[in-house]
Amino acid sequence: MSYFSEIWNARELLQNLTNREIRGKYRRTALGQLWSLANPIAAILIYTFIFSFLFRLPAQVGDPSGLDNYALWLVCGLLPWLFFNRVVILGVDSLVLNGALIQKVYFPRIVLPLALANATFFTWLLEMGVLVVALSILGAFVAPWIPLVVVFMAVFWLFSVGVAMVASILNVYFRDLSYLLTIVLQFWFYLTPILYPVELVEEQSNRLGGLGGSSITLLNIYQANPIGGFIEIFRNLLYDNRFPDLVTVLIALGWATLSIGAGLWLYAKKERLMAELL
Amino acid sequence: MALCQEGATDGGATVSDWAVRVENMSKKFRLYQERNQTLKSAILRGKTSTHQDFWALENITFDVIEGQTHGLIGTNGSGKSTLLKCLAKIYWPTSGTISYRGRIASLLEVGSGFHEELSGRENIYLNGSILGMTKKEIDKKFDEIVDFSGVEHYLDQPIKNYSRGMYVRLGFSIAINVDPDILVVDEVLSVGDEGFQRKSYERFLDFKKRGKTIILVTHTMPVVEEICDSVTWLDRGTMMQTGPATEVVAAYRKSLN
Repeated sequence: MSYFSEIWNARELLQNLTNREIRGKYRRTALGQLWSLANPIAAILIYTFIFSFLFRLPAQVGDPSGLDNYALWLVCGLLPWLFFNRVVILGVDSLVLNGALIQKVYFPRIVLPLALANATFFTWLLEMGVLVVALSILGAFVAPWIPLVVVFMAVFWLFSVGVAMVASILNVYFRDLSYLLTIVLQFWFYLTPILYPVELVEEQSNRLGGLGGSSITLLNIYQANPIGGFIEIFRNLLYDNRFPDLVTVLIALGWATLSIGAGLWLYAKKERLMAELL
Repeated sequence: MALCQEGATDGGATVSDWAVRVENMSKKFRLYQERNQTLKSAILRGKTSTHQDFWALENITFDVIEGQTHGLIGTNGSGKSTLLKCLAKIYWPTSGTISYRGRIASLLEVGSGFHEELSGRENIYLNGSILGMTKKEIDKKFDEIVDFSGVEHYLDQPIKNYSRGMYVRLGFSIAINVDPDILVVDEVLSVGDEGFQRKSYERFLDFKKRGKTIILVTHTMPVVEEICDSVTWLDRGTMMQTGPATEVVAAYRKSLN
């Protein structure tokens, strides 16, 4: 418990470090925080051109919203992914890059990945705000679902920051990890139903049947990916405007608990060794 | 936090109250011949590393009495910086305990965590909170910090435009205003120009006069003799002597000759 009270006591520090990330990042740029929207917009344009225009991937129809727009459907899954991706990519180096600070002052080290995650969360909130406006203009009735979206954003924050926390400590022991992760995240991105609907995987899975004579199908393996469930939840709420499947929600909550639990446990155990390991 | 019990009570009749108590404290480092910080070598060798244990500090025991200034002396490699980092909670003792009575702050570097692109004003809040001050405390001390540093005209400039002297003075002014009960200091007394050094030296004396406890690492014997009440002398990780400053410094000097 004393570890939690220590983190709680460092909340002002966390706030200040978060501000350092947010304010320091776009200093001396003309567009400032607007730059954070540039990446997702570029990604949307590229993926929509390739998958919807060239490959003719049929747009998913929102049920019951009636939306029929590949770009919007894509963004509802892409924004959570981009958040996760940034939290992990930035977070994995958070201890190593702050080595000088860690060796000079004592403070709960956990605030370093947390501050990056919070600064990234702030960007994600802006992006989601823009998305909600776009969805509303194009015919979805999102307003009543916003509170639930925020709740699941918080749950996904827990999941993402947990992964980043574990990665940041492991990276102190194995510096390869931060390079390895960029590759892992590429695979992870394409193996998550963000650009294409999960039905395409289901088709192939049915064609193949049980793998190697077992009853395990390709789809079973594919759906072990925790982020797939989160993406489904965000699409249900934002694009379809309906309640997500209860089992999917429970699995997502389970993953978030597991992830943040592992992160906190590792920090409580290893944090005091960081100064000498860096 | 099992290792630092704040406000622990002292059994028996005490001579004076201690502010910091170090008991049988040892610190072991692992020296890696080949630090396998890559996955490849970890997988190839099937173990993470080969290492040797190195005891940087062994069985250190001393008390620092409340309100006194305590010096840590010794030649290079004696372990005094390691001890200072243990006292500052940056390193954790391998065995033994360090107990504190009161709030502790450490000053091992000035300007820790400064962000180059942020203004002096923003960095005061950032650095202050890294050093353990609350926003309320910083608000209260803000003018004093700015006055003392002498950078008021550049407060809204990003600190990357600051000269080295301004940077160091601002960092020092924040640190000196943390106002802990126990201050742990490395040889950072000597920052800035001569005028600023005199000012900061007076601040230390003032801090001392207000009954605060200071633990200080320094190589400068005249400084030790002038401001330290008691001294601990370390040599290659073991404690040679601890006690009144004049006695220990005399013994240390004798050993050097």
